[in-house]
Amino acid sequence: MIRKEVLISGFGGQGVVKAGRILGYAAVLAGLRATMLVSHGTETRGGYVRSQVVISPEAIDSPVAEQPDVFCALSQAAYTRFRSLADKGLIIYDDGLVVPDLSRGGAHLALPARELAIARAGSELCANLVALGAALRRLPLVPLECGLQSVREIFPRQGEATARALDTGYRFIPADHPGSADPGQRASGKGGRAIPPNRRSC
Amino acid sequence: MRKLFDTGNAAITEGAILAGCSLFAGYPITPATEIAENMSRRLPRVGGYYIQAEDETAALHICIGGSLGGLKAMTATSGPGYVLYADPYGWAIGSEIPVVIVNAQRVGPVSGITGAPGQGEFYLSRYPTHGGNFETIVLAPNCAQEAFSMTVEAFSLAERFRTPVTLLADQLVTDGWESFEIPEDAEELRAAGLRVIPRYVHPGPRFYPFEDALDVPPVVLGCGLGGACSDWTPTEEGYDTEEREAQMQHAHRLIHKIRAHRHLIDRHEGYGLEDEPDIVLVSYGSPSRVVRSAVTEARRQGYSAGCIRLQSLWPFQDHLFRRNAVYLAVELNAEGQLVREIERAARRGAHFFGTCGELPSVAALLEAVRRLGEGHAPEPARWEREAW
Amino acid sequence: MDRLAKRYLRSRKIPGTTCSGCGLGQVHKKVLLAIEQLGLGTKDIVWGTGIGCAGRQIFNTWKGDNFAGTHGRVYALATGLRLALPEERKIILTAGDGDAFGIGLLHLLHCARRNLDVTVVVADNFGCQSTGGQYGCTTPRGYVTDSSPYGVREPGWLENGLDILDMLRDAGATFLARHSSFEGQSAVDSCAQAIRHKGFSLVHFIYPCVTHFGAVSLQSGDKARIFRWFEGLFRPEAGNSGDPRFRSGVYHDAGSSRPEFASSLKEWTRTVRREAAGRD
Repeated sequence: MIRKEVLISGFGGQGVVKAGRILGYAAVLAGLRATMLVSHGTETRGGYVRSQVVISPEAIDSPVAEQPDVFCALSQAAYTRFRSLADKGLIIYDDGLVVPDLSRGGAHLALPARELAIARAGSELCANLVALGAALRRLPLVPLECGLQSVREIFPRQGEATARALDTGYRFIPADHPGSADPGQRASGKGGRAIPPNRRSC
Repeated sequence: MRKLFDTGNAAITEGAILAGCSLFAGYPITPATEIAENMSRRLPRVGGYYIQAEDETAALHICIGGSLGGLKAMTATSGPGYVLYADPYGWAIGSEIPVVIVNAQRVGPVSGITGAPGQGEFYLSRYPTHGGNFETIVLAPNCAQEAFSMTVEAFSLAERFRTPVTLLADQLVTDGWESFEIPEDAEELRAAGLRVIPRYVHPGPRFYPFEDALDVPPVVLGCGLGGACSDWTPTEEGYDTEEREAQMQHAHRLIHKIRAHRHLIDRHEGYGLEDEPDIVLVSYGSPSRVVRSAVTEARRQGYSAGCIRLQSLWPFQDHLFRRNAVYLAVELNAEGQLVREIERAARRGAHFFGTCGELPSVAALLEAVRRLGEGHAPEPARWEREAW
Repeated sequence: MDRLAKRYLRSRKIPGTTCSGCGLGQVHKKVLLAIEQLGLGTKDIVWGTGIGCAGRQIFNTWKGDNFAGTHGRVYALATGLRLALPEERKIILTAGDGDAFGIGLLHLLHCARRNLDVTVVVADNFGCQSTGGQYGCTTPRGYVTDSSPYGVREPGWLENGLDILDMLRDAGATFLARHSSFEGQSAVDSCAQAIRHKGFSLVHFIYPCVTHFGAVSLQSGDKARIFRWFEGLFRPEAGNSGDPRFRSGVYHDAGSSRPEFASSLKEWTRTVRREAAGRD
């Protein structure tokens, strides 16, 4: 199927919706169709915000990411709640915030999104974009240039810092895989397994 | 065409502005608040007015008051506000005043869950007011592109039929983000199959002709033409009357101006119907998108299945349900509303698959199709939340 | 009335359908005299009406444009209509006590808050008379009606220190007056001031219902006696102890101290458009 499903989830204030919006608009700039459903868990503890983005060159029927190809987990609550959906996809998680459960399916990519955002973009608020950059690498339907243009249009003032954050995520290579020149080919988390070839995103 | 990635609410706003809406009165309510916010930003820039009303009853009255003076008007709400429209909705039907009403349905009853979709106002949109003796026009978009185009069409239908038109959306359509395109000039508008009808002024004095009344301009006050409109049964000139004959003529016109021209309103989308499938899934609004995915998959697996997606709900399109097939209504409510209407139109029983506050999954619909294929009714609705 | 009727009223609506002895016609006449005094024609005014005796009897009597709202909502209708009409066009709304001070009070107060340029003529007959004589929110406490066989058990808007006009003033109304239907030129003058006033104006007329309030509450079939009782409401010296006391005349006139809703919204819209055009 050409359709790609992306699930981004974290807690309020992490820019989960913004990241989805940037991805959706980047897809539009790439001449694709896109949908995004936004939902909020209302629990006071373990609450989450979730963006389900679907991208396709064709008309999109269901806007629900039932089996996300990429899941960006920006908080433990989000990871715990939705990891099982992505057991055939790639789970990108912030290893500063999430302790992964590697006992079950799903390829994992550990990404120090918050750390990289502070280092490269000067603000932890850009962690969502670092994660989105890493996700974009697995979505060749949407070229990086479209992602960068989308960021610059949606954040006209902070354009360059945010674009840098996206770019940083896109170019991120897991530290424990020094041999991996292209994370898209062998994305895998700490002690994680390689993406099964039939479900590889790119 | 301008390409956007935005919410259904934004698409509705764009449609209203393009259609020439110059008055929006509303009361904030999730998940339609964003329409009010967008209109408050857009209207002044095109010379229009935004009013935050004291309640929804006032909101729709303000809209039809403006329409009565010649302004194209719209309001937007969700279920708890839609019930408060009963009073002005009836007034606008009886006085034949064009107005567009958006209902972003959420799950109920009453306040329910503010950010979860529902389809509880299927029948309420048919009978939005008391008294009977009328038909209503209701359109149901299932994506942002349609939210845009149907808003434009709703304004045109409201003008041509001089009656309120409800755009019955749901929370997933209005809050959901999506790519859509909007025409930027008259040529692109035509190419998109859309038409903007201006407001014409009725020359008077036969404001309520006792005959079919398509394209008769509505009464417009303030021109000194002696226009008269009221909540009472009118004579042709607009005098209140208690003559039974006038009442019958009035009712006949309100019903038949719509029934006699329903080809301008009726719209639906069929999929997989050409090979006369054994099982036909029926839906409208956001569930129809999951239904389409499920039917595609079911057909791939070899099931004889198709689907009908209603784009206009009222008047109900009875003729679509004369197939020799098993019907399965898929709705965002747990009691079944659309299914009853299908049973009435088909003159036999139909099956129902309802979810409460969230879309059904493709897998659950496939299972329902599988059971129907084996001659069993679908499993009753599951009450625990789906994991997705 | 002939001169006024010829100029301003629809012949089909003459004679009207009010009961013999009803004061509503007198109220309507005062407003028409004020319109004549101001030199206004039928095209200058759009006339709206509510539900009840006042609304039903007055609807479509005006030779110009007319509308009748659902019960209590004519104020909200007028809010939208006001924006659509040219600023010089007048809107007059005639409604009863239940319509204005009961079911429609919320909308009326918000019209006052916005200082909407309309003139509301409240024709108050102390209750719901068109449905056969039930008490309402202005029926004096203790009086027997068809729905208060032991006397009204709740206070009305016009007693125990309450005055509905105080509330309207506090809500932002910029012109308020009160009269009985028996008054002459002074009532006409108040109506003229109200119509000329740019902003929310309301004239509260108290008029006699002989058929229900007179017959049941005052227990009299004698119209002259009923009229005397009503007139007495405005004359404390008449010694109707226990009845509300009213001062007739202009109650509150804030002139142009508050901006009018529709004209200021239109002005603001023009500014936004200019600025937007300048930016583009």
